[in-house]
Amino acid sequence: MPTEQREEKQLEASLDALLSQVADLKNSLGSFIYKLENEYDRLTWPSVLDSFALLSGQLNTLNKVLKHEKTPLFRNQVIIPLVLSPDRDEDLMRQTEGRVPVFSHEVVPDHLRTKPDPEVEEQEKQLTTDAARIGADAAQKQIQSLNKMCSNLLEKISKEEREAESGGLRPNKQTFNPADTNALVAAVAFGKGLSNWRPSGSSGPGQPGQPGAGTILAGASGLQQVQMAGAPSQQQPMLSGVQMAQAGQPGKMPSGIKTNIKSASMHPYQR
Amino acid sequence: MEAPPVTMMPVTGGTINMMEYLLQGSVLDHSLESLIHRLRGLCDNMEPETFLDHEMVFLLKGQQASPFVLRARRSMDRAGAPWHLRYLGQPEMGDKNRHALVRNCVDIATSENLTDFLMEMGFRMDHEFVARGHLFRKGIMKIVVYKIFRILTPGNTDNTEALSLSYLVELSVVAPAGQDVVSDDMRNFAEQLKPLVHLEKIDPKRLM
Repeated sequence: MPTEQREEKQLEASLDALLSQVADLKNSLGSFIYKLENEYDRLTWPSVLDSFALLSGQLNTLNKVLKHEKTPLFRNQVIIPLVLSPDRDEDLMRQTEGRVPVFSHEVVPDHLRTKPDPEVEEQEKQLTTDAARIGADAAQKQIQSLNKMCSNLLEKISKEEREAESGGLRPNKQTFNPADTNALVAAVAFGKGLSNWRPSGSSGPGQPGQPGAGTILAGASGLQQVQMAGAPSQQQPMLSGVQMAQAGQPGKMPSGIKTNIKSASMHPYQR
Repeated sequence: MEAPPVTMMPVTGGTINMMEYLLQGSVLDHSLESLIHRLRGLCDNMEPETFLDHEMVFLLKGQQASPFVLRARRSMDRAGAPWHLRYLGQPEMGDKNRHALVRNCVDIATSENLTDFLMEMGFRMDHEFVARGHLFRKGIMKIVVYKIFRILTPGNTDNTEALSLSYLVELSVVAPAGQDVVSDDMRNFAEQLKPLVHLEKIDPKRLM
């Protein structure tokens, strides 16, 4: 009948999936044990965490496979050994990678058991009686508080991570200074901090780099030059810009220059 | 006197308008070595190139409010290298998703009488500085790490002092207009330099 066939197919498919998952799990467990036994003196905590994470992930996928809707209820299936023989079975050897050579009376009870170990059974019974004793309300409250604590913890961790990334590393490890970045970009873009914008404290007459006009003085002659409404091709417009920049600095220029600034009040870089 | 934004100009033939895509950041002096090592690993395999350049910025003031800016650069450690004249337009604002600063860029090599020529044309030097640093390349990307030195007496490039305790780091690409995919590549490269250097697009107008 088609439904039975379908179920059989499903069973087979899910068994295959389960088999591959379990094989992966076995491999990672094996490598983890190997790592612990042989490299224990070089082992670091992150490496151990990685192995645990791998195992946990694999267990998760295993659970997902089992919960998958296409997986038939394995609980309903029963495995019965049909033939027991004390002879070596090559096929079995191959399938179990050499672990089970003989399908005999000693092997079967261990491999086909479905009941857990007596100690484990005891513990489970204990846990179930404890859980039943608490009562539904108290249990619910405990569940809620556990969830709340977990989410608080998660939030704290993610906040720390975000802060560490955005705030840059702590000062003793800082590799760049944002203020410096701005200063340098301003210097390259329009000469801030370079020759013509130098504060008045430094050299007197040796003012902004105009190769032909090194003798710009803050005196009367300079003022008179600025007063002329110069044609663009002459030096005056540049001078006025320069003088204006100097006038911005306190206490150096005589007050007379303020009136001249009005006529040439364009900031060199005004847009 | 500024050229209108490149995207508005019709393509009438001749040279394609080139745009410079730029990301800038800085690194403190003591972290320079680690940055250089990282760049040597990330960039194309070539002999590390150092340079010592003297750049002068010239302004031409017209009737309009905004002067025309040209940058002239000469190499101080390579004899016989031509002078380099560059025009940089205003950064094209608008696309917030674009990860790099984009501006129109025209580059040309000139002979040594460039400054005289510019003065005759009516340009006046606005400021100058000396740049010393390292140059790296990765494909079409150019990465420059340099220190800016202020020139204390005009015309005298021996008497300089460093502007700050940091090196400026610039990642730039010169490409034809419209190739915004370039800025994605630049951003990916910039990610690899974090957290040593934070390369970002810095609008110079904000820093005025």
